[in-house]
Amino acid sequence: MEYKNVLTTCPYCGAGCNFYLQVLDGELVGVLPCKSHTVSQGKLCIKGWNASEFVVSKERLTKPLIKHNGSFIEASWDEALDTIAKKLKEYKEIESDSIAVLSSAKCTNEENYLMMKFARAVLGTNNVDHCARLCHASTVVGLVRSFGSGAMTNSIREFEDADCILVIGSNTAEQHPLIARYILRAKEKGANLIVIDPRAITLTQFADFHLRQRPGTDVAVFNGFINVILAEGLEDKEFIKERTEGIEELRKTVENYTPARVEEITHIPKDKLVAAARTYAKAEHASIVYSMGITQHTTGVDNVSSSANLAMLTGNVGKPSTGVNPLRGQNNVQGACDLGALPNVYSGYQSVTDEKARAKFENAWKAKLPEKPGLTVVEMMNEAAKGNIKAIYIMGENPMISDPDINHVREGLEKLEFLAVQDIFLTETAQLADVVLPATSYAEKDGTFTSTERLVQMVRKAIEPPGESRADWQIICDLAKAMGSKEFEYGAPADIMDEIASLTPSYSGMSFNRLQKGGLAWPCPSKEHPGTPYLHKEKFARANGKGKFWGIEFKEPAELPDEEYPFTLSTGRIMFHFHTGTMTRKTDLLNKEVPTGYVEIAPKDAERLGIVAGELVSVQTRRGRIETKALITARVPEGMIFIPFHFAECAANVLTNPALDPVAKIPEYKVCAAKIEKISG
Amino acid sequence: MIEDVRDLARKWLEGKEVDAIFGLKEHDGYIAPYLFTAASELDNLTISTEYRLCYTCRPIKENILALMQRREPNTKIGIVARGCEERALIELAKRGQVDLDRLKIMGIACTQEEAKECKCERPYPSNLVIGERVKGVSEDEDINALLNKSLPERLEFWRHELNKCIKCYGCRNACPMCFCKDCKMEQEVFSETGWLPPEIPMFHFIRWYHISERCIGCGQCEKACPVDIPLLTIFKLLRRDVKDLFDYEAGMDVEQEAPLLTTLDEMPMKEEVPSGV
Repeated sequence: MEYKNVLTTCPYCGAGCNFYLQVLDGELVGVLPCKSHTVSQGKLCIKGWNASEFVVSKERLTKPLIKHNGSFIEASWDEALDTIAKKLKEYKEIESDSIAVLSSAKCTNEENYLMMKFARAVLGTNNVDHCARLCHASTVVGLVRSFGSGAMTNSIREFEDADCILVIGSNTAEQHPLIARYILRAKEKGANLIVIDPRAITLTQFADFHLRQRPGTDVAVFNGFINVILAEGLEDKEFIKERTEGIEELRKTVENYTPARVEEITHIPKDKLVAAARTYAKAEHASIVYSMGITQHTTGVDNVSSSANLAMLTGNVGKPSTGVNPLRGQNNVQGACDLGALPNVYSGYQSVTDEKARAKFENAWKAKLPEKPGLTVVEMMNEAAKGNIKAIYIMGENPMISDPDINHVREGLEKLEFLAVQDIFLTETAQLADVVLPATSYAEKDGTFTSTERLVQMVRKAIEPPGESRADWQIICDLAKAMGSKEFEYGAPADIMDEIASLTPSYSGMSFNRLQKGGLAWPCPSKEHPGTPYLHKEKFARANGKGKFWGIEFKEPAELPDEEYPFTLSTGRIMFHFHTGTMTRKTDLLNKEVPTGYVEIAPKDAERLGIVAGELVSVQTRRGRIETKALITARVPEGMIFIPFHFAECAANVLTNPALDPVAKIPEYKVCAAKIEKISG
Repeated sequence: MIEDVRDLARKWLEGKEVDAIFGLKEHDGYIAPYLFTAASELDNLTISTEYRLCYTCRPIKENILALMQRREPNTKIGIVARGCEERALIELAKRGQVDLDRLKIMGIACTQEEAKECKCERPYPSNLVIGERVKGVSEDEDINALLNKSLPERLEFWRHELNKCIKCYGCRNACPMCFCKDCKMEQEVFSETGWLPPEIPMFHFIRWYHISERCIGCGQCEKACPVDIPLLTIFKLLRRDVKDLFDYEAGMDVEQEAPLLTTLDEMPMKEEVPSGV
């Protein structure tokens, strides 16, 4: 008999909790928390505790599938790989940019690196992106233009020692439960908690201030805070002088955002705004925590830069327990970005348009690389619908549930001449594919994930993969070889990390040998460097070392409620499920907690429309219509409805607006106009 | 002390007194439960208060030791057990989960420091094999503070604490005594599913009540709680009540009938027993 516990990193959110997978005679029997881990400290959320169940699901893909006359037939690996290689070669010969690739925030750093290398060096296109586009594209752009680096500035445990925490657009207790732990601990130690969210979320019951802004008015909220702080002289004058530029531009812009005007725009009572602004400004160590509530807007970049404005104005950057802290939603969305699964950068955010960087990668990969930045996720679907993208290769993503305006996504994917998907389940997207390749889950392979606090941590193989499934990194190598490349010879993921380290300054000091002993936070520029828990200590990462203030005017969301569509619809996640439900909906306890989707509607709105609790209702927008259960709750304010996006049978993204932020190209999931109606009588 | 544990484990394994040793293994600085089957591995055997050995595997809902015993009916397992772990084994055996005849318990004592850290009232096993017995912690500041509050203040205290609950079920999952196949905490009839915080007080009361007379005071529930609900405090008080009312203390005597298993018939109530044990 053999019983062991294999330490690994949780495959759900970006908190980066570690746990052990319990293995008895090669069989996965459960999860044990890890007491010595920096974030999880022997604790987990409900998803983490149950993260072994989907791995052993009977629905796992175990053989390659090729579609013949509309139905899938099992195939050999050689046959499947040859089919894909042949097709991709055909399109490559005509036009490389007619192919697009979706990489995956669920896969390891090594796999994301290989996927973008495959797209650029083998297919010859920069059309590679992944779902970070849909969650924190605006963070990467917004924080880079303010600070020079697009990641969480501080580390998770630092929250515990903050004097004030401002949480905006993050339902932390449900989406990042083990991060909420440290916010609650700060609160118990006497910190002030400011929650800015239209919904009453779990954290609001502990908040000193709950400011319920009208959805999509975040820039006005931030400008209001800044107006109050400048008017009362609460800014950190020394920090502004020594460390920043552009304060005059900001000062001029926010002049017009008096508390009274901000109340008009945001509906936040001006006295509350003033009191909250003072509380934030007067704190010795104030942290800003945000997530998709501010990023998923057509003004996503503006929102992010506004939060950076507020932090710099009060000197709350570059020291412990402060900063601007975007919470990344997926286990490895930080890593997938870091490793260059984006259309404009290689690993370490080295631009594809920078000739020096391109030459470095051309030299390392022995290939001519494309110069023009590629298409983003939503643009790929648009171009597919127009017939300009002819083939898409998808690794571990499910755009048929996750992307905005699903009907349009379906149209795009169905119009493709060729679609190949590698995944662990036959997802809604895989069902549309011509070839499906069975991949392995986190429990069946080695690699690394980078958590939201930039912490690179080991993922360790605990059990053998089911059937003939192969690790994603192996599949990419097999495919590259089938297409004739000689640059994909790796014995193990550790070799891939060595290549990453040689080409990526922020990961230079990383290796599996070091990571086996514990995580390292980037930047980690040398083998001796201990990693960097918080950024911008002495200077910012921008070229001149200064942080930059941006004067930003408030803009309304792309689609506002009107007579025909009188409600504001917002979407998001809930505690008991994750993203497109591919994993959590194969977990018994989670299905018991929440078996299907619903629409949250305020009691007065429900009463006015004659809707009773649990009734099936129709929710419609200009994109589409779904039927779902009504959940009557004061969590949402009047005039707003909220739908979790996990559920294919009542998919919120049938409804959402694919309008994009002009720079970051992130869609506006958080605001669109909707109507809600009774179905019977 | 750890050398004594390794030496004895080696003696048991090499002398074929047991087929395997169930203990903690250290690897790259990380410690986790492990089944040692070769004496050569025993240099990595370690002791730590951070981990216990007996957990119920989720989602199969079976104690790991019970599972091992069921799979290998002829295997005798040696187990390195602290006081709380010995008590857990006794309660598990009483409830038909593990077979003590096929276990050889190496009872080890906790240090004074460890006892203090766990606020443990009895930091040693009945059958002490290795280590010196130290005094249990009799005064608990958290309990005193709670008992000094008025009843409305206590209610408010618990309301505040339970409001933080994010329904991870970690208290249940970490508990060596929570092995019900059909856990009432998960059932809509007792507390509404899908909501945060879970219904107060029913979600918690269900477990507190059910565990009250079998709780062995290990505090693993509190240590697993992501929001620091002081669960050991309530369980210590419940243990006191059970002692006062029924003169019963969990984990002391495998023959002593548990009060919640007592019926007015001759036969005690049966727990769910995994097949094959």
